[in-house]
Amino acid sequence: MNRQRVVITGIGVVTPLGTGREDFWAKILLGHCAFQPVSSFDTEGLPVSQGAEIRDFDPTSFGFSLDADSMGRASQLAVAASRLAIKDARLAIEDLDPSRLGVAMGTTSGEPLEIERYDDLEVAGELDRLDGRFISLYPCHMIAVHVAADLALTGPVDMIPTACAAGNYAIARAFDLVRSGRTDAVLAGGADCFSRITYRGFARLGAIAPEVCQPFDRDRKGMIPGEGAGVLVLEPLERALERGAPIYAEVLGYGLSCDAHHMTGAHPDGPARAMRRALASSSRAPEDVDYISAHGTGTPTNDRIESEAVKRVFGESARRIPISSIKSMIGHTMGAASAIEAAACTLAVACNLVPPTMNFKTPDPECDLDCVPNSAREHPVEVAMNNAYAFGGNNASVLFGKYKP
Amino acid sequence: MKGDRRVLVTGLGVLSNLGDSPEELFRNLCEQRSSLRPADTSGPTALPPIQVSRIDDFDAGAYLGKSNLRPLDRISRLVTVAAHLALKGAGWEADALSETEVGLVLSTVLAGIHTIGEFDRRALIAGPSYVKPMDFANTVLNAPAGQAAIYHKLRGVNATVAGGTMGGLAAVVYGVDLIRNGNAEAVLAGGADELSPESLHGLYRAGLLAGSNGTPGRPVPFDAGRNGFVPGEAAVLLMLEEAGAARRRGARGLAEISGYGTSFDPGRGRDARGATAVIRAIELALSDADADPGSVGAIASSANGSVLGDRSEAAGIAAALGAEAERVPVTAIQSMLGDTLAASGPLGVLTLIEALRGGTLPGIRGLEEVEPDFLLARATAESQPVERDAGLVTAIGLGGGAAAVYVSRRDA
Repeated sequence: MNRQRVVITGIGVVTPLGTGREDFWAKILLGHCAFQPVSSFDTEGLPVSQGAEIRDFDPTSFGFSLDADSMGRASQLAVAASRLAIKDARLAIEDLDPSRLGVAMGTTSGEPLEIERYDDLEVAGELDRLDGRFISLYPCHMIAVHVAADLALTGPVDMIPTACAAGNYAIARAFDLVRSGRTDAVLAGGADCFSRITYRGFARLGAIAPEVCQPFDRDRKGMIPGEGAGVLVLEPLERALERGAPIYAEVLGYGLSCDAHHMTGAHPDGPARAMRRALASSSRAPEDVDYISAHGTGTPTNDRIESEAVKRVFGESARRIPISSIKSMIGHTMGAASAIEAAACTLAVACNLVPPTMNFKTPDPECDLDCVPNSAREHPVEVAMNNAYAFGGNNASVLFGKYKP
Repeated sequence: MKGDRRVLVTGLGVLSNLGDSPEELFRNLCEQRSSLRPADTSGPTALPPIQVSRIDDFDAGAYLGKSNLRPLDRISRLVTVAAHLALKGAGWEADALSETEVGLVLSTVLAGIHTIGEFDRRALIAGPSYVKPMDFANTVLNAPAGQAAIYHKLRGVNATVAGGTMGGLAAVVYGVDLIRNGNAEAVLAGGADELSPESLHGLYRAGLLAGSNGTPGRPVPFDAGRNGFVPGEAAVLLMLEEAGAARRRGARGLAEISGYGTSFDPGRGRDARGATAVIRAIELALSDADADPGSVGAIASSANGSVLGDRSEAAGIAAALGAEAERVPVTAIQSMLGDTLAASGPLGVLTLIEALRGGTLPGIRGLEEVEPDFLLARATAESQPVERDAGLVTAIGLGGGAAAVYVSRRDA
């Protein structure tokens, strides 16, 4: 089958740590952390109160064509990141065939603030005041719909709500849509907004850290929930070269797998299969990988299981591959996480710089990998692997490589 | 674009209000039975008397036995039973299942919206320390697909795909691509949604339901007097398999998914661009299948009685078929089953497969007069003969997507 090579030509991120590629990357390399007391709802009754919210997000500052008030917050974050990605790619979409442009977006919770409003009304006995727009704002596919409608695209529009692996799933889907020749460009990524449902749920599971997120540390206490959106522009190589676009990296391949083990409990088999499949589909060997962006939530279980899975796949070379988690800085942005981490992988490949794992103090013998503790590192990155794991045992790994003619 | 990996449907698993087997459901559709009933509108806020199609007597234990069901909420149980029926229908034995990585691609519009709402309300009423961790696991939108994979030990690619009411076809498309791209040999693909107080209130408040403006409800697809739809619920999964792998396993092919097309309508159903999206989806599906409108023997559409939605779909089908629109029988089963949201498209595939195999397409229940400018000469209340070996399933989504799938009969 005739396959197109697929490259990344644009990066758009809206994160608790910064908006836009340059701001985000600068703060990641400096090791800034975005954790603050939660402000969007009352955390009373919970043992934890830290979060990574985006405090200064103004959807009217991104040049939406749709009214920002006509969509939920996750959609606003997604449209903002999409607009940034297109600008970054210098893509003049108005000059392109809209039927050849697509969207693939992931999410964990869709538009949870809409069901929260419903619940507030029901609890107050005021359901008769329910907004007629509830059912058109709430379903998660509206995130992808709002991106496509805002940009007036008419190609394939996919929404893939595979929880915390959703960003990688969306990039994998976009990769297929581009390399099969079905599209000329796809906006791929993920979005989630801060939600009391998500926060209270993870708190009840004991998965939220009281102060900071410190992945791979012996004394790690959990994740810090966050919010955000990450969107990449994926294009066929030929078109990118033709229009002289910036090429950050090439998408080499991906691997998906399912644990079929437990809804919330991790298992090393599934992640290992996803990593192996990503290597095989990219025609790369384990020793070709120069950087791994870990799922790295900072929960005791995840980091232990992920370390074990990495060692199973990479064997002896596992200990010499830098593996870091930017969740130590921006928190866990749920369905956006692997999309934002894909942006970081892409920039690592483009810049030969590896992001740090912050807040690291004490090594954990069960996570005896090089987690790039506390400061970014210059390091040649020819190939980067992005790992993401989710509730439901949904695992996804994507491989990015330095573009070479 | 397509390569040489062909995708067969080797089994159908369905839970619906008109039957839990493809044969029973299809017989009831051909006999024009309706499952629409007055909704139970008791609850926190009174709704006016509206109709629904709810599977009131659903009991997962009757299909699966009682064990291992406790962590599953109702939507997950519907999906898990549909997966069980599809695997069984396709002749998968436990031994073969443990050796093969079977995938699962599920579409759902609202996932566990009731579980999500209950979780949140419990925290509001009783306090956040009273919520249950198991309920939280079921609040993620991929929980139904994840739970079904755990129950059946499906270790292949597991994905949840959303696209409103066209999402069920989007899941079929995703599953077809997994097989075509070599990511899977066998994938369950389809959709499921359940009725809940949350969805009912939401749909009613949006004015989308037949009868929600106080006039008698007329949820009849393509009818000149239609005034909205009736919400229903169902779970449908198609067992998709790569043709060679199916043959080696000795599985029979009921049909082939020979092509698909998807498209987006930035006007989101409000103007003529809705029809343009449908036209493009059908043209892409025909081209992907190397077929032309002359080969289309029947169409199962997602028309549900919505004033604007049916117009987009009718205009799109008529324009894409051109002169052939005069000849091709078109149906919509939503006046019998309600609009089952993400299950709607896969139910259309099931209906078309049975129609291609049996030679008869069920009519549109309640249809009196087709909206005069719809140009669908063969949308009728009566069943119609199917005189080709292939057909199309079309769907449009709440929100602006359109999809078409080209299905060919196979007797292998």
